Amino acid sequence: MERDLALIIPEIIVLLTGVVALVAEMLRLPRIALTVTVTGLLLATGMTLPLLGADTSIFGGTFRIDMLSVWAKLILLPATVLSVLLARTELGGSDREGTVYSLVCFVTLGSLVLAGAGDSMLLVLGILLSGLGSFALVAYPRNDSATEAAMKFFVFAAVTGAIMIFGLSYWFGGTGSTLLSDLSRLEEKPVVAAVGLIAVIVGLGYKASLVPFHFWAPDAYEGAPVSIAAYLSVVPKIGAILALTQVVRDLPMSTGWPLVIAVVSVITMTYGYLAALVQDNIVRLLAYSSVAQAGYFLIGIVAVGASPLAFTSIIVFSAAYAAMNLGAFAVVMHAGRTLDVFSGIGRKNIAIGVAMVVFLLSLAGIPPLAGFVGKFLLFGASIEAGFTWLAVIAILNSVLSLAVYLRIIVPMYQQPIITASGSAPIPLVKWVLGITFTFTLGIGLAAQVLLGRLA
Amino acid sequence: MLPIVSITLFLPLLGALLVMTLRKAPVQVVHTIGIVTSGLTLMGVVRMWSRGVNETGFAQLEQLDWMPSIGAAYRVGVDGISLPLVLLTALLFFVTFIYSAKVRKQSHAFVALMLLLETASIGVFTALDAILFYVFFEVSLVAMYFMIAEWGHEDRQRAALMFFIYTFLGSLPLLLAILGLYLGSDPHTFDMRDWISNPPLNGTAAMLALVAMLITFAVKTPVFPFHTWLPAAHVQAPAAGSVILAGVMLKFGTYGLVRFAFQMTPDAFRDAGIVILVFGVVAALYGAFAALAQSDLKRLVAYTSVNHMGYIIIGVAIAALATDPAIRATALDGSVLQMVSHGLVTGALFLLVGMLQDRANTREMDQFGGLLNVIPILGWSFVLAAFASLGLPGLAHFPAEFQIFLATLQVEPVAVIAILGIVITAGLYLRAIGKVFLGEPREKWTNMADLNVREVLALSPLLILIVAVGVVPAWVLDVIHKTTAALQF
Repeated sequence: MERDLALIIPEIIVLLTGVVALVAEMLRLPRIALTVTVTGLLLATGMTLPLLGADTSIFGGTFRIDMLSVWAKLILLPATVLSVLLARTELGGSDREGTVYSLVCFVTLGSLVLAGAGDSMLLVLGILLSGLGSFALVAYPRNDSATEAAMKFFVFAAVTGAIMIFGLSYWFGGTGSTLLSDLSRLEEKPVVAAVGLIAVIVGLGYKASLVPFHFWAPDAYEGAPVSIAAYLSVVPKIGAILALTQVVRDLPMSTGWPLVIAVVSVITMTYGYLAALVQDNIVRLLAYSSVAQAGYFLIGIVAVGASPLAFTSIIVFSAAYAAMNLGAFAVVMHAGRTLDVFSGIGRKNIAIGVAMVVFLLSLAGIPPLAGFVGKFLLFGASIEAGFTWLAVIAILNSVLSLAVYLRIIVPMYQQPIITASGSAPIPLVKWVLGITFTFTLGIGLAAQVLLGRLA
Repeated sequence: MLPIVSITLFLPLLGALLVMTLRKAPVQVVHTIGIVTSGLTLMGVVRMWSRGVNETGFAQLEQLDWMPSIGAAYRVGVDGISLPLVLLTALLFFVTFIYSAKVRKQSHAFVALMLLLETASIGVFTALDAILFYVFFEVSLVAMYFMIAEWGHEDRQRAALMFFIYTFLGSLPLLLAILGLYLGSDPHTFDMRDWISNPPLNGTAAMLALVAMLITFAVKTPVFPFHTWLPAAHVQAPAAGSVILAGVMLKFGTYGLVRFAFQMTPDAFRDAGIVILVFGVVAALYGAFAALAQSDLKRLVAYTSVNHMGYIIIGVAIAALATDPAIRATALDGSVLQMVSHGLVTGALFLLVGMLQDRANTREMDQFGGLLNVIPILGWSFVLAAFASLGLPGLAHFPAEFQIFLATLQVEPVAVIAILGIVITAGLYLRAIGKVFLGEPREKWTNMADLNVREVLALSPLLILIVAVGVVPAWVLDVIHKTTAALQF
């Protein structure tokens, strides 16, 4: 028991951080709440470092301390810190500011539970924990659009969550256990395996915004504050993707799950980019882009068990995605939500322009940026797993993605339509931009730093 | 030993960073940095040239671990095929910087982008690691997109977008092929030298990889029917962009054809040799006929590029089909030399068209007439470059095309119908010279100024080299031949 607890110190710290932040907010001390949150999350990140290389499970196999869950902490905790800094900029001084930090901690905790889930009940717990906080975060502005978005989000989550629990009950019946590691017993029960798999894809797919369970995402992102949208598009999504990875690694190949995931992947990325092509609101555009990026994650999941590159590629792409997506949202937070305000922005503020171009080209997968390395590894994994056609479709989608991101880049260097203020971003945003920019370039150029630790 | 290849490769990038940090510097300083940096780069390449190449494999190797976990490393070096192209690249950038010293619009960004483009271009030719190659290949694309979109002519945004998406789409199959070659190699590596000495794929996999690579390089070269981006991009690009696009970036396609397709999937390439040959012949003829139909001088030069690139493809295909190593070497020698010649000649032609446009604000041939008397230096320079382009003996294209057709006659005589292309280009260049430079001078152009010192400085290295390559091709051919003669195929 002591050993088990020692291995989840980072999670415990995150939980305590959330509680303390909440207490600070109750005492009307939002600055303290902020400080506690940032310190706590960074401390948890630091406490994760000794776990690097661990590969074990705790509490009777229900929670896994492996490559996926350790790297999930190393990626999601700093990403949460950056989101909190953005939230401070956007929501600082508003009512109930401290609750945002507290809720963010709980949602991150839920995402971490998902990423290390070794038991179907932990999947449910993770979904609920990250879901409940998310609804509240989306509804934070207390206006009609935010409330509507949160309501949609909630209804969607309730339905998909119910479906997932229903499907998981089949797996429980089929294996006689809720442990994911016992899923190998489903070898002889294809129907049971299929029902459970579809239900899990529905449940986790909503969280990761896979098509066709993505409908909530653009509305929720649009209604929510930009910093919350940035957070939701990164942390819970990566958590759900890693949870799906944990599930399929134990699922027998004979159930045909790789093909199912591959099909969902193709639909998700193609639909995501096609829908992004017609958006005029940048938050919605980025929302659809993050839907499409979820499809790219699935390419790596398809290769789980068949290619040694699979886990590596998923983790590298997670880190890359977190950096570039947060960066792009940070620019949107600084500039504004419509395409019009982006016209001419690259001429007025060179640094912002360069940063945005780098984030977007990285999202499109142009070398030598982070997104390229991630996608390159994903493609390699899928080809090695025998899914060359999937890599081909993904590559064709990269062209579509370029068209999407150029819709933002092109006007940035045209004559401005609206004379938006060419003001420099405030220091906190500058910090976030600086860090995400460094990682977007750094993961691209110095991928070895990551790869060496993943090998 | 100084790592001269890496220094040469990253010098322009350093220059670009310098320009970006000196945001307040006056325009002249910025352009001076551009000229000096590219001049130093050229000197670096000259130093590489003096070190020479080996009979076998690559010379002047420099490497550094990059991503050892997946077998990718920073590896650069040159052989007889790449070294002449590196020299061409450095020279064209140098003269382009001299010519562009008049650019006043966002000159900081212009110089920084051009320098970035120079690093990317030299990188494409010197990279010996497939990932590194791909990185440079794509970075050049991004830089050229901004070049056209910002400093191009009227319809630049659309042309830039078309160029970017078209060639990005084109380059992605290469990524697939690289992944295939990587997974086929044992142990997994991205080392291009390994892939060349020991082709990792065979059978259907090799053929699929070849098809993917051919698509990429056909778009880049460009080969009919993948050429449609080229005239649009050229017409809208600024003169500096056109020089680099035609002089350097089109060579990415033909260089890749040799380095990747020909050397890494040799058996599949031999099997597909006839098909590739047909594409080459069609490209050569189509380019010539399409050029014949143009009234815009810049479009005309752009289409003759399609024609000249066709000859290179014919040469490489013939090299694959040839059974005699001597004939193979001849065909490859001709192809590589043709890349160099085309860079020099087309570079000069685009500069000249750009200079003419600076003066007249039009490129329609019908608008001109009798300019030879008004602006003799520009006029005679154009005549020289045009004669070189149509393959006149004693000028740069002749020794290259001669060798290509010599090899073709011995291997696949039917393909010599592509020589018709030379007749057509001769006709269209003579017609263009007649329309623009001969006849009665028009009233409105009588005050046109001839080339100034800067323009002469930019132009003269190219014109001198056009003659030098034409009269004594040996100094380039010897370097090329060292590699092609020893090529295992």
